[in-house]
Amino acid sequence: MRKDIVKLTLLLLTASVITAGCAGSNAPANGGNNGNSGGTGTETNGENNTQPEDEPFEITIRHTQVGESKKFRLAMLEDVVKQTEADIPGLTIKLDGVDSEVNRKEKLRGEMAAGKPPEVFDVFGSPDAALFAKEGLMLDLTPIIAELGIQDQFTTLDPFTYEGKVYGLPIGGSVEGYFYNKQYFEDKGLTIPKTLSELEQIAEAIKTDGKIPFAQSSKDAWIPLMTTNNLWSYYGGPEITYGFKSGETKWTDPSVVEGVAKHQEWVQKGYFKKGELGFEYADMRNQIITGEAMMMMDGSWANSVFRDPEQAGDMVGKIGYFNMPPVKEGDPVVVMQDANNGYGFSAAVADDPQKLAAVKAFIGNMWTEEMQLRGLEEDGVLPAMKIDLEKMKTASEDPLMQDIFAAVSEIDISFPAFDALVQADVNTALSIGIQQIIGGEGTPESMLETVQSAQESANAAEQ
Amino acid sequence: MLHGAPFFFTEVTMNKALRNPLTYLLFVLPALLLFLAFFIYPVFTAVYNSFTSWNGISQDKAWIGLGNYTTALDDAAFWQSVKNNGYFILFSCLIQVPVIIIFSLLIAQVKKLKGLYKTAVFLPSIMSTAVIGILWGFIYHPDFGLMNEALGLLGIEPVYWLSDRKWAMLAILITNSWQWTGFYIIMVLAAILSIPAELEEAAVIDGATGLQRALRITLPLILPIISVVIMLSIAGAMKAADIVLVMTKGGPAGSTDVMATYMIRYAITSFKHGFGNSIAVLIFVFTILITAAYQLLVARRVERMDSR
Amino acid sequence: MRTVKQTIPHVFLMGYLLVILYPFLFVLFSSVKTSNQEIAASPFGWPSAIQWDNYINAWVNAKISTYFFNSLYIGILSACLSILFAAMLAFAISRMRYHRTSALLFQLVLLGMLIPNNALLLPIYGMMRQLDILDTHLALIVPYTANAIPFTVIILTAFMRSIPGEIEEAAVMDGLRPAGLFAKIILPLTIPAIVTIFIINFLGNWNEFLLANYFLSNDALKTLPVGMVGFRDAYNTNYAQMSAGIVFSVLPVMIIYAILQEKIIEGVTAGSVKG
Repeated sequence: MRKDIVKLTLLLLTASVITAGCAGSNAPANGGNNGNSGGTGTETNGENNTQPEDEPFEITIRHTQVGESKKFRLAMLEDVVKQTEADIPGLTIKLDGVDSEVNRKEKLRGEMAAGKPPEVFDVFGSPDAALFAKEGLMLDLTPIIAELGIQDQFTTLDPFTYEGKVYGLPIGGSVEGYFYNKQYFEDKGLTIPKTLSELEQIAEAIKTDGKIPFAQSSKDAWIPLMTTNNLWSYYGGPEITYGFKSGETKWTDPSVVEGVAKHQEWVQKGYFKKGELGFEYADMRNQIITGEAMMMMDGSWANSVFRDPEQAGDMVGKIGYFNMPPVKEGDPVVVMQDANNGYGFSAAVADDPQKLAAVKAFIGNMWTEEMQLRGLEEDGVLPAMKIDLEKMKTASEDPLMQDIFAAVSEIDISFPAFDALVQADVNTALSIGIQQIIGGEGTPESMLETVQSAQESANAAEQ
Repeated sequence: MLHGAPFFFTEVTMNKALRNPLTYLLFVLPALLLFLAFFIYPVFTAVYNSFTSWNGISQDKAWIGLGNYTTALDDAAFWQSVKNNGYFILFSCLIQVPVIIIFSLLIAQVKKLKGLYKTAVFLPSIMSTAVIGILWGFIYHPDFGLMNEALGLLGIEPVYWLSDRKWAMLAILITNSWQWTGFYIIMVLAAILSIPAELEEAAVIDGATGLQRALRITLPLILPIISVVIMLSIAGAMKAADIVLVMTKGGPAGSTDVMATYMIRYAITSFKHGFGNSIAVLIFVFTILITAAYQLLVARRVERMDSR
Repeated sequence: MRTVKQTIPHVFLMGYLLVILYPFLFVLFSSVKTSNQEIAASPFGWPSAIQWDNYINAWVNAKISTYFFNSLYIGILSACLSILFAAMLAFAISRMRYHRTSALLFQLVLLGMLIPNNALLLPIYGMMRQLDILDTHLALIVPYTANAIPFTVIILTAFMRSIPGEIEEAAVMDGLRPAGLFAKIILPLTIPAIVTIFIINFLGNWNEFLLANYFLSNDALKTLPVGMVGFRDAYNTNYAQMSAGIVFSVLPVMIIYAILQEKIIEGVTAGSVKG
């Protein structure tokens, strides 16, 4: 019955277009909307194709591929956009590029509060996506990815899952570990450490040599916290971080204290550059590039910097990568690995079959093995979808990428970054705390007590 | 009589011409609406939101009474930011003001190069705070910065200006006064130069030395303008935010946060919009309290001395 | 003896001048040095060879021209709008015969001087959001215009009050209505005060950072202060290039200052004394 109504509307529409001619350009638009609302009930995909195909419409994609370093990623997005426009007649896709941090912290939050995000937008999985999903602002993708048959192809969708439903798809994955100066290691006869104490011996040797063991820039606290997070995950086991929010574990647990204390010990031993507490992110990469520092904890995404002659100069090809080693040799290798950045879609899309079709086509074109491998090859971003390691290795012959692949294959247990597992204000408290520790003020115990009390009040506020 | 009639006539005509409700409304409305929308209405929404646990996104705002205020007042980091606003005020009153007085007296004294001094001294005040923050960030750089090189010449170990919490606040205060001291010097200078020359001359005849003249004649006469300088410094101190954001983002470890940056840190980066609004209200309250206290305790006295 | 006495103040003042001007000179020298190493090696010295590339790179990377014109037109437009609206209100308050209402309005506007507008960042952000003008230049022009109103009204009212009544009486006799009186008589007489206030308002808008930082995200829309901070964050490992960027952003202001300095100094100080 409904199908008949749609067809009837279509018929009337066509008739009105013919009779009204150019002057009637408004009328079909209205008619089209009526037809759409008639068709909303019909769930089947096939029906969407019988929608008025020639009726132009527009969707906006908010992306964060701005600037020189993201040009490859932008080219990929543009290709997907072209493909999607070709698939869906009448579709025009508007690209709206905004700096990642600005989009995350200000722009998207503002639009969400106003209830009107763009149709497609770059979003962080946890905790952002859940917060927006809770307000009913994000499109439930569960049926769409089931229909496209890709629901089981992702390494993890946890960061984008809220109450069992998927609200976003990660664009790429990342791991965190040490970039190091391969040349220097060879010259000094240093080898990749297998235990934490070996790592410390290397650091001591580098320091004795008059160089900086670890590059670090702590003006933004998430940077040193990559190291701290991995340390406490070794001492306390990665599962400990999951328990903070539920109250099963506490920040004051001795193993977390041990992790923070180890980081503090490295600071006290002078393993980081003096004054790095005031440095910006770019500074620490610069310490590696200038040969001032020899190792650097950073996300795998940093490989693009060290592979680009314009940014890394002579250092291209001289940088390697390894995981932070476990406490004892043979213990499981525990590494932060996540896929927390991707795209989400406006809940409003569900009300407009045309846009829904466009979103489906976009997802279908974006999340393919081909695109994932291309991202890896051109941009050094690890796939978010399950892809055979061998295939990955052939995708990029770059030695640094090969190092990263090797490191990924050694991972025994992976964990998401702590800020995906705790509330934003706990992150704020820990951010201040780690800067205090680096600044040589307070003890790990007292700092973590403050974090724990922030955790408790955040937990209480959620109930 | 002859004069009275036209006067009466004008008064009536003028009243008629200048009493037109519609015209009055049209003239008043644009500015008044903007004023109400951007000064009065936001104060009320800030007060309202400060009693909620609104995250800035959700449609519903849960009423939590004074919860945000007790959280803020119990938070050591908040008091740290209040203290830093206080440092801004103390630094301007205890260090900047004497410098301002000394240099404006000096400029007033010299006969040559007065124009050059005025021009140069004022220069930093017209620059954008953001650009000055960048410039000084460079000056404070531990490796390449001018500051450490200068200290090095004196044999002083490098200081990690912006990364060491012992120095970071001082570094910001120095930058801030570098920007604004010249501005106030020009203000005070204008007041000094407007002192009638006869007073000076009389004192010279009486045999007063330069220092005596400055202390006995000039200083008392410029007290009111110094009071204004202090008032403006307090207002500036309560508003300070951009210089902190540009130079340290409130770090390291929140040690250079002022109330406004503390507010931004929580309201914008931690989804605690309601809490942020309670900080806004507290800034408002503190500003009024300090202004009122200053007016009652100091400014009145200065005025009394002035009228004596 | 006399000459010694006269040189002592100059010694101190020259010292002060050095403190003020040397940072600019330092940046100027650094901007033509080849690398961070050269800056570190001789921070006080002349550059060994002049490196103009820094300026070319900074111009391209920092997009100074875009930011500059954004700041310029937002600053001028907002300052003009504030003055227009505030002058209308000041005219109504000072010249029209509704004394009781006017006194009340004036008190209300005075209250505005007490409100620290930084603290109102969040509610104003919310308003801009509801108006759906975030990330457009309107999101700055409207608040900038509004923020300057209390101060502008206070100064202009004081100025307009001092205009003798005979002038307007003559005008009314000639048949001018209030609008004409405002546009043809009072406004032209207020021009000296308006110039002063324009400079103050413009500089305030030109230098504003907080709203510009949080209300705009599109790079092409950014104003100079925000754009420069973004440039610093992106290229902060190359201090020579960063210095060139600083020179670019400071130069136009210096030129304007060199031309208008008497007027600017007079304007800014007169304004703040009265305020």
